[in-house]
Amino acid sequence: MKRIRIDPITRLEGHGKIEIFLDTQGNVANAYLQIPELRGFERFCVGRPAEEMPRITSRICGVCPEAHHMASSKALDAVFGVTPSPAVQKIRELFYSAFFVTDHTTHFYALGGPDFIVGPDAPPEQRNILGVIHKVGLEIGRQVIACRMRNHAIIKLLGGRGVHPVAGLPGGWSKPLQEKDRVWIEQAANENVVFAQFSLKLFHDIVLSNPEYLDMVLSDAYTHSTYSMGMVDAFGRVNFYDGRIRVVDPGGKEILNYHPNEYTDHIGERVEPWTYLKVPYLKKIGWHGYQDGAKSGVYTATPLSRLNVSDCMATPRAQEAFEQFYETLGSKRVGGRYQPVHFRLAIHWARLVELLYAAERMLELSQDKEITDSDLRPLVTNIPDEGVGCVEAPRGTLTHHYQTDTKGILTKVNLIVGTTNNYAAMAMSIRKAAASLIKGGAIITNGLLNRVEMAFRSYDPCMSCATHSLPGQTPLKVTIHNAAGKVVEELSQYTEPVS
Amino acid sequence: MKTLIVGLGNPILSDDGVGVKVAYCLRKRLLTHPDLTIKEASAGGLRLLEMALGYDRVVLVDAICRKGGLPGVFSRLCLKDIAAMAPTQNLASAHDTSLTTAVEMGKRMGLDLPHEWIIYAVNVTHIDAFDDRLTAAVSRAVPRLVDTILKDL
Repeated sequence: MKRIRIDPITRLEGHGKIEIFLDTQGNVANAYLQIPELRGFERFCVGRPAEEMPRITSRICGVCPEAHHMASSKALDAVFGVTPSPAVQKIRELFYSAFFVTDHTTHFYALGGPDFIVGPDAPPEQRNILGVIHKVGLEIGRQVIACRMRNHAIIKLLGGRGVHPVAGLPGGWSKPLQEKDRVWIEQAANENVVFAQFSLKLFHDIVLSNPEYLDMVLSDAYTHSTYSMGMVDAFGRVNFYDGRIRVVDPGGKEILNYHPNEYTDHIGERVEPWTYLKVPYLKKIGWHGYQDGAKSGVYTATPLSRLNVSDCMATPRAQEAFEQFYETLGSKRVGGRYQPVHFRLAIHWARLVELLYAAERMLELSQDKEITDSDLRPLVTNIPDEGVGCVEAPRGTLTHHYQTDTKGILTKVNLIVGTTNNYAAMAMSIRKAAASLIKGGAIITNGLLNRVEMAFRSYDPCMSCATHSLPGQTPLKVTIHNAAGKVVEELSQYTEPVS
Repeated sequence: MKTLIVGLGNPILSDDGVGVKVAYCLRKRLLTHPDLTIKEASAGGLRLLEMALGYDRVVLVDAICRKGGLPGVFSRLCLKDIAAMAPTQNLASAHDTSLTTAVEMGKRMGLDLPHEWIIYAVNVTHIDAFDDRLTAAVSRAVPRLVDTILKDL
């Protein structure tokens, strides 16, 4: 079997490698995304007081510390058996919505967007945010920066610290919201709503109005029919902060609806010889390989899958955008829900629908009279034991599971991070993208890197949850092996650092 | 000169945290300096750009992995050196740009950018296992690097 390796991936945290295996005919047999494991996190945590976890786990990742902080704070609510007051829940959700606004904005304009806005076949040196502002104008660039900065300021204000928040407590939040700050956040949330609406319009004007781009979104090369997972509130609406986990089959039928602390009953983890990471799948369906369809236990947890599992959105403008999304993509309502959309590049559009929801939710919460209550520090009296905390991270359902002794010292830690949910699905998307450019041993090297990158970039993966090291760029390198394992092609956008 | 020093990295990921450890030491030595701000971060280009707005000079301290690089050896780089390492100007992380791309964008947008970017890069090898301690060779580099930066300022 031939083997192709893409190593490592640009625009991703950490150093991923892509291995592509060819069969004896020279066609793509399999593709795997290799994610180097960061070792020893569990060992690092065991023996520490559980209440340190929101601050420790926010250090796992330089990209989504807010998501880890929140999942961890919720796990502590459960470990210590305390129910947060309404004010705590609202401040947490406000903080979390600001995080979603900045995270989704950055992904669309700096990462996913360049593929569409600059064009899928533009040279790599233009497919970045510089190319985006060249195409759409400096003013948009200023708005992106302004959006990021005002929401980072809100995160810092509410979370107590800029990059790594510190405010989460068992059942509580260490910092009340002052009225003067609430007024300012309300104003920022209004600006976020305008910005999100503008971003959706930009997507319509640039992507949906361009038949070539639209064809690409709808093309078979970027389509996979799998199960969808996401968190929904009591009314079956998208919720990032709290709710039950719903899973629907490729046709949209609900097959699971469980409390996050039952996750081990429903999610299996497959061990593969080519990676240290475990590949999650739905236990109810079972593991049947990297396959599409209702008979395969492969699922996704992305902005698109969150929309797919939901009956509707909880805010009015996002609901309009949600309906337009499904109507435009030809989906019909069946049993109260739209039929799932499976075009992977539509994840970018779904992300913008979520951006609008996060902005509107921020606005609602910032106008809530209860949010300035100072009742944020409950007395913890129960004996700690075990707890699960779950939120939707921008890149998928995030679960923290802790066990402690009676003094609250950690004895076991298990995390399922957002990207991991999509591990199998990303491998399938990479296989398909590579197969379109590798046929009968002929490899169209021009464009291979980009098409493969585009395939998994829509999932917004955060690979190693590592931070970064200089030069601040993770390089892309593809190595192609033939059926005998010999290297037949190497593609690279990387040079060794000067010494 | 209004100066920002940023120690970059993850302090619980072994040698990846060397920049942060340097920032801790600098903060102890320069606690009351009026023109100097010392921060730690684990952030890519856009975030660094946003942090740097309004400063005259920025000093970044970060870990670097180089083939054959001796752990603990550090070098002083400028933006051009960083750009030369990253010829395609693609983005650094899942959620950010490379620093050179971000600075270029800031220039085009006419933002109030620092005039000078100084980057101290410390060679490391151990960045894939959680540990709040640095390896011995990298740890020994910290006081030397702190002295070098203080002389530089």
